[in-house]
Amino acid sequence: MSALRPPGQAPRAPVKAPWLTRSGVPPLLVGAVRHLPPCLLLATTLALVGPFHPLHAEVAANAPAPAPPPERGQNSPASVRPPLTAADQEYPAAQIEAGRTVFAAQCAFCHGRDTAGGESGPDLTRSLLVASDDRGDKIAPHLIAGRLEKGMPAFVLPAADVAAIVAFVHDQKTKADHSVGGRRSVEPADLQTGDKVAGQRYFEAACTRCHSASGDLAGLAKRLEGLPLLRRMLYPTPAADAEPAHGPQTVRVELPAGKVITGKLAYRDEFTIALVDADGWPHSWPTDRVTFTVDDPLAAHVAQLEKYTDQDMHDVLAYLQTLR
Amino acid sequence: MYSPTSRPCADQRRAAPAAARSFAVLLALSAGLLSAQEVAPSLLLQPTPDSWPTYHGDYSGRHHSALKQITPDNVRQMTLAWAFNTNLTQALKSTPVVANGILFLTAPDNLWAIDARTGRQLWRYTYPTNTGFHIGHRGAAVRGDLVYLTTPDAHLVALDVRTGKPRWTVPIADAKRGYWSTNAPLVIRNHLLVGVSGDFDNVPGVLKSFDPETGQPQWTFYSTPPVGTPDSISGGATGGQMWMTGTYDPELNLVYVGTGNPTPVLNGPVRPGDNKWTGSIVALNPDTGELRWGFQATPHDTHDWDAAEVPVLVDAVFGGRPRKLLLQASRNGYFFVLDRATGENLLTKPFARANWANEIGSDGRPVPNVAKEPARDGRLVSPDESGGTNYRSPSFDPATGTLLVSASDAFAIYFFKPEHGASGWAGADYGVHARGVLRAIDYQTGAIKWSHDLSGGSGAAGVLTTASGLAFTGDSAGNALALRTADGKTLWHSGLGRVGNTPITFELDGRQFVLFGGSSVLYAFALAP
Repeated sequence: MSALRPPGQAPRAPVKAPWLTRSGVPPLLVGAVRHLPPCLLLATTLALVGPFHPLHAEVAANAPAPAPPPERGQNSPASVRPPLTAADQEYPAAQIEAGRTVFAAQCAFCHGRDTAGGESGPDLTRSLLVASDDRGDKIAPHLIAGRLEKGMPAFVLPAADVAAIVAFVHDQKTKADHSVGGRRSVEPADLQTGDKVAGQRYFEAACTRCHSASGDLAGLAKRLEGLPLLRRMLYPTPAADAEPAHGPQTVRVELPAGKVITGKLAYRDEFTIALVDADGWPHSWPTDRVTFTVDDPLAAHVAQLEKYTDQDMHDVLAYLQTLR
Repeated sequence: MYSPTSRPCADQRRAAPAAARSFAVLLALSAGLLSAQEVAPSLLLQPTPDSWPTYHGDYSGRHHSALKQITPDNVRQMTLAWAFNTNLTQALKSTPVVANGILFLTAPDNLWAIDARTGRQLWRYTYPTNTGFHIGHRGAAVRGDLVYLTTPDAHLVALDVRTGKPRWTVPIADAKRGYWSTNAPLVIRNHLLVGVSGDFDNVPGVLKSFDPETGQPQWTFYSTPPVGTPDSISGGATGGQMWMTGTYDPELNLVYVGTGNPTPVLNGPVRPGDNKWTGSIVALNPDTGELRWGFQATPHDTHDWDAAEVPVLVDAVFGGRPRKLLLQASRNGYFFVLDRATGENLLTKPFARANWANEIGSDGRPVPNVAKEPARDGRLVSPDESGGTNYRSPSFDPATGTLLVSASDAFAIYFFKPEHGASGWAGADYGVHARGVLRAIDYQTGAIKWSHDLSGGSGAAGVLTTASGLAFTGDSAGNALALRTADGKTLWHSGLGRVGNTPITFELDGRQFVLFGGSSVLYAFALAP
């Protein structure tokens, strides 16, 4: 298959619930994520850059049983027990102190001066990347490359500064591993204020167009609990390392000649509509040259945010916790 | 007892009592003392078309220009005139200042002087390595032969406009206690007003005035009590940082500044009451720092909603009589109209999704619903921590009577339990969903005349309107936009990367330029010569 195949020759193969096998970014956020400025000012939404958690296939009804979620603590919310450091490592006190200084200037606004999370960045003491790092083998490349799509800039820093940051982060993590509680902690026990019977009533009235307790959501509570479950319930956000970042949204584009192409929504703004077809090829068109319809299963989640009372929210969570 | 007034310094110079008289004197002085290349403070009273001499363009904060060369009919022919690459990894968040053909652009620890005609660098100043927060920077200020830069470790540096050589550096506040500064200072005659940030620690809100020529401190206004002061009105709250540039009415001789959120940020029970003057608009005498009046947009904030957003000054007939008005689209999602002589509230209307108040009090303040305070089991709150809007500047278009605001309809879950403590953030919040929308607010009624979807999450760009009926801004997807102010229709766009500052405009050699920051590059557009 040619990489240069023009959009008009894309196959018509129907896309079979592509979101069931891929995690992704909600479509309306894809553009924003792609162009996210580093560190994203004060104005960034946690929806874009906040902690993410494993994504499971409960978005659509009639889904096949999902595979067990990968063991993925990276950027996980504070209610998940943080992974312990894999390789013991020690650093000179002077290097740790130097790292504290560099970290304060370059990293602390987003990640907090103590590495336990700031206005927009996740708690690094609970990061899988940090836990699996051995003397900077993962942190250093991460710093240098950045994670632009998550709002983290690429840093141009002297090697000594990078090494000092690594030393400081590991020192903070070691301290966190031996302490209890946490500044941003939300424990599953904190969230037990709902009524599961009322929650089931709400669920059956509001959620069953897309979801089924015995179908896509069967066993949900065995996979998720606490804050990660609450956040997934309110609005399913993508996994931290979702690649490529396609959400469950699909798009059907009709070309002027009448040809129709469908695929995963890859990008959308006022001027451009883009998709990835069933074979993985990217396509894009000016919005004024084609007609298109986007199917966004997450729109119902956004609409629900307008309707939930806090009690509804806790009730539905209580009900979802019974789906074991 | 603490009172939220200023503490004059021993060497404070008292200004002339009558503002108008002092202007006349100053104008005469300026003419005599300043060379043709120097920037007279009087330029800020009547900005010339070839300048954008202060962060907001003028004292009113309207972000509106009288320039008309670029129009709804010809804006499609707007093309790139030049681009200036900062070569930084951090996106540009600062809005440039332009005077005498020189453009001043900032980033944390950096100030560039650039030829505004060509984008050529004249000089670059780099502040020494320091440990302050390097999160962003708003912009510079210029006066006489000096240009001013605030620093991540809360210092103020005065540089020679010609060479970029530092003339003096003075501390604004103690960085070791948790202050930093991203502030674009405000020049008012012989005062330089400088604000700081700092809500990761429980420190009082500080706005300082310096002598622009020597850096000598003149006065300090505390929005919350300084250490060692018996507390009377803040209820134990600290914070209320004035990190955004204020606006100024020379006739009333009042400067208007928005104050930040209280600290600890999410822990409300430890600081009962309204927590004045956090989340407020305060009117100060710029000669003394004395508080004339305050209006609290968010009483007892527990969601990080400062009222630092631009207080926009408009003179108009309102409610049947001529008024000096102050408009603010505040971070808490509400649009306020005040009488800026007295602080009296004239209108309060939501402009973005907001579910935290059940009613508007008789004083025009939204009354917080205690059930939406952060709680152990979490509360679903809109807007989110980033707010219904933020520092991105709105623009007031006098022809249509609209305030254009980059708004966000957003939800978040907010948590607080005593285990989170009472220092700094003291809680946890997680964004759920946000949607950026440009809204045109009818300032007479608060009604939304039109909305323009910004293609994603919260926008980062401010808004500029021009007298030709154009509005310039950026969307969340990475497009610079020119819209028709009357109805929000898109007339031009360019995919620069996300616009993270507020567009500005000026005219040089008969050519109108419009500038946007896109990622880490500053772009200047104009009609083809």
